[in-house]
Amino acid sequence: MPREFEITYSATNVYDEWVYDAHWQFLIIPVENETQHEVEIEFSNSQYAITENSINGYGFKTLRVHPKKKFKEISFEAKFKFLKEEIDPYNFKINLDKSSAYDTLQNLGFKITHERFLKATTYTTIKNTEEQLFRFNNSLSIFDNLVSLNNFTFNYIKFTTGATEVNTLLKDIISKQKGVCQDFAHLFCALSRSNGIPTRYVSGYLDQNNNYQGDSQMHAWVESYIPEIGWKGFDPTNNILANTNHIKVCHGKDYNDCAPLKGIIHSHGKNKTIHSVTVESQQ
Amino acid sequence: MLARVANNLFWMGRYIERSEHVARYLNVNYFSSLDAPNIKSQDRQFVLRSMLFMVGDPEKDDKKFLKEEDVLYKIGLDPNYSSSIINNIKFARENANSARDLISTELYEAINKFYHFVINYPKEVFVKNGLHEFTTHVAEMTDILRGKIRGTLLHDATYAIISMGINIERATQITRMINAKFNDAMLSQGGENERFRKSFEWTTLLKCAESYDMMRRFYKKTPTSITTLEFLILNPNCPRSVMNSLNQVNQHVKILNPEKRYNKDSTAFLIGRVRSEYEFKYIEEIDEDIKSFIEDILKSLVDISNKVDEEFFNY
Amino acid sequence: MTNIENQIFSSYQRNPDLYDEIYDKNGKIKGVYQKLFNLYGEHSINDYVSLNNKAKSSFFNQGITFQVYGDKNVQEKIFPFDLFPRIIDPVDWDIIERGSIQRSKALNLFLWDIYHDKKILRDNIVPIDLITSSANYLDQMNGINPPGGIYNHISGTDVIKHKDGKYYVLEDNIRCPSGVSYVICNRTALKKALFGVFNHYQTHTVTNYAENLLELLESVKPKGVDIPNVVVITPGMYNSAFYEHSYLAKTMGVELVEGRDLFVENDFVYMKTIKGPEKVDVIYRRIDDQFIDPLEFNPDSVLGVPGLFAAYKKGNVTLANAPGTGVADDKAVYTYMPKIIKYYLNEEPILNNVHTYHCSRPDELKYVLEHIHELVIKPVDEAGGYGISIGNRLTKSEIEKVKAEVKASPRKYVAQPIMSLSVHPTYIDDSESFEQRHVDLRTFTVLGKDKEFVLKGGLTRVALKKGNLIVNSSQGGGSKDTWVLKK
Repeated sequence: MPREFEITYSATNVYDEWVYDAHWQFLIIPVENETQHEVEIEFSNSQYAITENSINGYGFKTLRVHPKKKFKEISFEAKFKFLKEEIDPYNFKINLDKSSAYDTLQNLGFKITHERFLKATTYTTIKNTEEQLFRFNNSLSIFDNLVSLNNFTFNYIKFTTGATEVNTLLKDIISKQKGVCQDFAHLFCALSRSNGIPTRYVSGYLDQNNNYQGDSQMHAWVESYIPEIGWKGFDPTNNILANTNHIKVCHGKDYNDCAPLKGIIHSHGKNKTIHSVTVESQQ
Repeated sequence: MLARVANNLFWMGRYIERSEHVARYLNVNYFSSLDAPNIKSQDRQFVLRSMLFMVGDPEKDDKKFLKEEDVLYKIGLDPNYSSSIINNIKFARENANSARDLISTELYEAINKFYHFVINYPKEVFVKNGLHEFTTHVAEMTDILRGKIRGTLLHDATYAIISMGINIERATQITRMINAKFNDAMLSQGGENERFRKSFEWTTLLKCAESYDMMRRFYKKTPTSITTLEFLILNPNCPRSVMNSLNQVNQHVKILNPEKRYNKDSTAFLIGRVRSEYEFKYIEEIDEDIKSFIEDILKSLVDISNKVDEEFFNY
Repeated sequence: MTNIENQIFSSYQRNPDLYDEIYDKNGKIKGVYQKLFNLYGEHSINDYVSLNNKAKSSFFNQGITFQVYGDKNVQEKIFPFDLFPRIIDPVDWDIIERGSIQRSKALNLFLWDIYHDKKILRDNIVPIDLITSSANYLDQMNGINPPGGIYNHISGTDVIKHKDGKYYVLEDNIRCPSGVSYVICNRTALKKALFGVFNHYQTHTVTNYAENLLELLESVKPKGVDIPNVVVITPGMYNSAFYEHSYLAKTMGVELVEGRDLFVENDFVYMKTIKGPEKVDVIYRRIDDQFIDPLEFNPDSVLGVPGLFAAYKKGNVTLANAPGTGVADDKAVYTYMPKIIKYYLNEEPILNNVHTYHCSRPDELKYVLEHIHELVIKPVDEAGGYGISIGNRLTKSEIEKVKAEVKASPRKYVAQPIMSLSVHPTYIDDSESFEQRHVDLRTFTVLGKDKEFVLKGGLTRVALKKGNLIVNSSQGGGSKDTWVLKK
């Protein structure tokens, strides 16, 4: 039985000075895939500006707003209803020959196909010495190594809100050992990629009714490509495999590809933004 | 045509026209005051104050002694004074720059040469003995520019926009000159009396507007307040008159907006309305209250400019 | 005719080690230059100076200038121009033209490939890290099919003649190559100053660039568009190439827009006109990738248009050149050009490549560090001649500095043997005489779906400082009119 989800996303922006020209792009719509279906979207804003449906550079659906009138405050509210299939993260075949998957990682064709999710980016660059934080044990399967990496990341960073910002670099997170879901995901990506595993940053929602860690905003986790198995989701913030409670919006190399809200605002003075997300589901 | 570029062209026209009027005002007032018939009009302080009044920056302190070199420099070449001639030409060129692909090479080259002439004009020469050469050259260059505008551009929307800018500015500057000379005549004659009506300032005003000869030809009499105002405001055949300028604006707006439909929100409607108001005006009505008339016409011109901005340049 | 009779060249000194374009080894004037040499010889150096000054002031008055940003204020300068033209005979031109087209086509196929199946990487012809480590490779371009399959609609190929008399390519410029307006201005200036000399040569015209460019831009219109609305987008009038942008828009008869003149609605692009919004179909953009759309790329960009990339991805607007072309004019990709040409076209390269050492490869890095005095060190992703170090011009401490920089980020640098660019007699203000100066040639190639066009002329750039090999205008270079003779 698929679960029925209802997600409410809201954001309020308040500015000290009049804003005459602003563009927003929201990357918050649950993606339609094998497990997420029939996504219904309701989106409104307090300025009654028209909403445009578009895509970002990677083809994920976006919502864009460009108010025609000046304003000092604007709030947005999105409601998404959709169905989600139950996910059993352990539902895959195990190949007893572990080495063939490792061989695939060395294959040039494989590296080219997954080039985008193997390279280091601004948020996932680590030094050679830091790569030693976690090395794969080749006597274990790739999956088992990733589970260990998930566990390592979970233990390495202490979930702390306010210790890092959106643009904090990985080296600072490694030294602080504190951060939020985005930082967990970036560290996982960096270490997984340095071990040759294509890994992508995933942005989405987490149904927190099970006491998962998160901060009632959007959540971030990762997906790694395991040869012979395919993409597998890991949530290092909670040390679990991604499951039915993880509602995916999009994926990318890092946060930059997935920022839920991008704003181009020409205004002087300060501004304040408040986000909140609620996720509800029923069988 | 791009709205931004239209805005640039409109203001290019305005700045070109503005620089000419300011230049001529300086020139005519300065030189005609040298042998003016009454002492007040000959007074250098009086003339310098008139110049500042005309550019919209009147000296409020009656006691203050104005240094001739300072005033001339400020209005002529001061890069830090936004209404100076040098800045008008700088702005004209900057506006031309952003519309460069739309205007002819010949026009652009003329503006560019003009700009380099002004920007390189030595300050010391200007304030000592260059006033005549400089202001005459400015006035002549603007004539060349208008010639290039008329003679090298397609007479389409581009031309219409520039011409609207030129003519709105011309009407504005003529009105400002009338205002300044009205003020001078009041001050020199001590009120709207008979001497006021026959003041020497009206001759100066006509010369500032390059209209003295034709005015004499038309009236065959020494200019008085009423004949001067009639000529400069209401005479549709005087190329500098407010009426003539409004007629031109009216003609050009029709190129931008050929529709005949009744639309009271359009620029064309507003221009037509203002134009017809002056077409059927008695000069006596103006003469009754010159001050209010000046305020009204300046307001109408600002309204028209704002309407143009709203309808064509706003995005 | 000997040199002595020709007063204008009487003090011209030839360095036998350099390849002089007008004198042969024996000091004789080469055939194609004979008439020109005689015609110029009829003038005195004073005549020449006065013509030169007239040409300069004509450039200045027309505002054909670029801005130099100094400490205090912005200065307007003309692009220095020399009235003694360079002549390219039909045989040489044939090589240059075919070579330029060949490179443009190969680069275009390369771009298509690396943004689709990446066969050239899979076949291990070009190493994968050239792409993964290139800041100019745009992941977003993967799988996008630009109209007509064209990425590098406009290419600028920098060609030199080495002292062996052969043509070499120094650089391919396929982002926003500039300079074409100067080709036309130089011709106009020379025609005005010395119209008589044109009677003696059958020279190809250069004024047909704009019509060819427009034809190309119209040919790559989005699907479903009948008569496309083409515009040129510029960063604005303070950009150093603004004159060129306005020149191209004017001669093509299309609008010159800035980012703020455009907006995107429902993934279509419109410009704001006095009559309301007007749809735009093809954009010849003179703004770098990073600035075209703040929602997709650099969010601080005020030059671009929010939502433009989505409109492009949906195929509702064409961008020329396509985003992401920069990856292929990376100087590290340059090294592979002979292989790239062979791979896609199965042809031998018509124009030579200069041997290039990759500092990213340990053995080559070692060679570079040991031989730095005989090499040119170039950053891989800079344009305009910035950051180039010429080994034999460096002091000891400078060499150490360059070495340290290269060691610190080897991927950022390549090195090449110092090429001896051919020299051309150029009037030098300081000595009031003609002197040998190094020149190169930038050709402009327009590539469309079923169209290829190389402007028959190109921009001959001159390094005005004695002995200098860097010809870029930002580095004190000038230019000459370039005559391609008819067969």
